[in-house]
Amino acid sequence: MTAYRPPAPVELIPAMRQRLWRAPAVLNFALGGLGAGFYLVAAVAARLEMAPALVTAAWLGPLLVLAGFAAVTTEAGRPLRGPRVLVRVATSWMSREAALGGAFAATAALEFLAPAPGLRLLAAILALAFVTAQGFIVRRARGIAAWDVSVMPPLFVVSALVSGLGLLLVVEPALGRAPRGDVPGVTLVVVAVALLVWLAYLTWSPEPAFVRATRALRERAPGALLVGGGYVAPFALLAVARTLGDSASLAALAAGALLVGGQAWAKWLVILTAGEFRPITLASLRLHRRPS
Amino acid sequence: MRWGMVIDLPRCVGCQTCTIACKQEHALPAGVQWRFVADGEAGVYPDVRRVFLPMQCMQCAEPPCVPVCPTGASRRREDGIVWIESSACVGCGYCAVACPYHARHLIHETTGYFDAPTPAEAATARPDRAGVMTKCTFCMERVDAGRARGLVAGVDADATPMCAVACIANAIVFGDLDDPASRVSRLILERRAQVLMPECGTTPSVYYVAE
Repeated sequence: MTAYRPPAPVELIPAMRQRLWRAPAVLNFALGGLGAGFYLVAAVAARLEMAPALVTAAWLGPLLVLAGFAAVTTEAGRPLRGPRVLVRVATSWMSREAALGGAFAATAALEFLAPAPGLRLLAAILALAFVTAQGFIVRRARGIAAWDVSVMPPLFVVSALVSGLGLLLVVEPALGRAPRGDVPGVTLVVVAVALLVWLAYLTWSPEPAFVRATRALRERAPGALLVGGGYVAPFALLAVARTLGDSASLAALAAGALLVGGQAWAKWLVILTAGEFRPITLASLRLHRRPS
Repeated sequence: MRWGMVIDLPRCVGCQTCTIACKQEHALPAGVQWRFVADGEAGVYPDVRRVFLPMQCMQCAEPPCVPVCPTGASRRREDGIVWIESSACVGCGYCAVACPYHARHLIHETTGYFDAPTPAEAATARPDRAGVMTKCTFCMERVDAGRARGLVAGVDADATPMCAVACIANAIVFGDLDDPASRVSRLILERRAQVLMPECGTTPSVYYVAE
């Protein structure tokens, strides 16, 4: 005896691309993750002690986060009402993102002016909370099948760490310094974990709307470009840099640039390429052939 | 009391009268339709059917659009109507991507159908709506005003949403879901009306009779 299988829902209105959040929203997510991630990894790399990279991160991190806010403001219909977004921290992840981003920027800037270990720790925690809030913003968008998945917050957190480490690998040589500790080695591990999280995201849900919306990320050139250019190539370059040491600093620099660009591209793909409204379905529309 | 609607799909002929009535009632600008009738096709040959699906805000009991709103502009009344306070909306679009029913519409700019506003467009212009989110409200001003005059929503035209009043096939029924004697409650029970996409967990107040 075969088990009863309910009829498949009838799709009456097809999925359609969302056009509300465009490039400015992607910029907010990409710059926010980059700035907060940079501060976080610089703080952890320095073990919360004062270090040149952390000094750079203390002004560059908040600047990137605020630049992301400025970008997304251009997309709002009534940007002058922007301060109102802070009033719903009890329920809205967008309010929480704004509050945490602002608190992070203020704390990091204060720490830049008056260095203190406590402020460093607080700024690092706020940076982590900020990128988590960005992930939850996307997670709570129930109308978009490719966003409404529980893996989204971890995806945003590891993305911030990867892009932050990438920026660290770029900034330190650019300022004529060598990163403290085994930054390439740590980055190798984080990139590997991030790739696993990305691959997990691509197969996270069996829901047809999710599978269809994320198909381009799995099977077509944009997704392949991300995996190849944003994860595999920098991983290989970092392995070379770690093996050869100082003589391969250019490889580490290139890996850092690829990581930063790759994570921005990942946000673009998630928000714009996979950002499709769910199709409208009716569960039990029975079809009967009508006599002619 | 919880306002709800039942839409009888076999009765719907796809005439879009409800779409036009809504546009006129709310003076919606060009390109914005709070409700529309989707013209779909279901099945595989030879068992194929053309299906008209009137779409609008589902006035969900668990609306995903309300908690995500960062300004508190999106709200739900005691009677279940989900509405937007235009003066508080920042136009971020978050509520629209949170809605599984494509029911929210951001008015980017209040453009008309022609180069210059027509007299009718000028007379009904709503500059307060520019740059903010808008949606179907079950004609709450109309329902409230009618009830204040002692009329019965869902029975008297002046206390009933315009789409239901205008429907030429009597396919749209409005009433109180909490009242077991109301026409909507009886239709849901007797005709086994269903909601769209219950898997989204939004508990819509708009039901559809499919057969």
